[in-house]
Amino acid sequence: MIPLMLVVSFRTYKGRGLRLWIPLFLVWLLLLPLVLVLLPLAFLALAFLRVNPLRAVQTGWQLLTGLKGTHIEIQDGNALLLVRIF
Amino acid sequence: MNEERRQILEMLSAGKITTDEAERLLAALGSEQGAGSAAATAKPAAKAPPKYLRVMVEDHSEETGKGKTQVNIRVPMQLLRAGVRLASLIPQPALNHATEALHEQGVQLDLSQLKPENLEELVDQLSDLTVDVDEENTKVRVFCE
Repeated sequence: MIPLMLVVSFRTYKGRGLRLWIPLFLVWLLLLPLVLVLLPLAFLALAFLRVNPLRAVQTGWQLLTGLKGTHIEIQDGNALLLVRIF
Repeated sequence: MNEERRQILEMLSAGKITTDEAERLLAALGSEQGAGSAAATAKPAAKAPPKYLRVMVEDHSEETGKGKTQVNIRVPMQLLRAGVRLASLIPQPALNHATEALHEQGVQLDLSQLKPENLEELVDQLSDLTVDVDEENTKVRVFCE
């Protein structure tokens, strides 16, 4: 299943930080019309590059769904960067 | 309380592992002990394929003066498999160009011989990969779970 939420959190050495909750399901909904419009052009470009467009779409979808569960946390002293995709 | 459980609890109290990690280790230990106590003729349960690749780095070096540095990365195995499948999308002429460039640099590697199924098998074998580096101030762990 495609990821539905992205959390990005960071904190600087001075202690100032920000946490963003990004609803990816809304992003996908907003991008869907654009993807549908650009898909034929992408197919043509892939065919020109001699890349199987169906396999490319399948791989792209697998990359997208594979992002779910990604967790990146880097802490250096007081600074922190957190990226979670679920 | 057996020795392994004691070690896990000691690591938790020392702050070397988080609560989640301790819980996972205890659960894994419990399932191993349950399997070990089963009858010898019983068929062993199929090992579940790992779902994530974990990379954990702890650096207590005081050179930077900023305190402890921690890196905790968890990457889904599905993402790795999809990434290696990208190799199958590279057109043959591009692979040949890349191979020629590598040969010019003295790297005798033929990229056209890299098959996607071989790369997928490589990812599948990662389930047995465990890297543990334990130095004075630095710990690095790479494993699949």
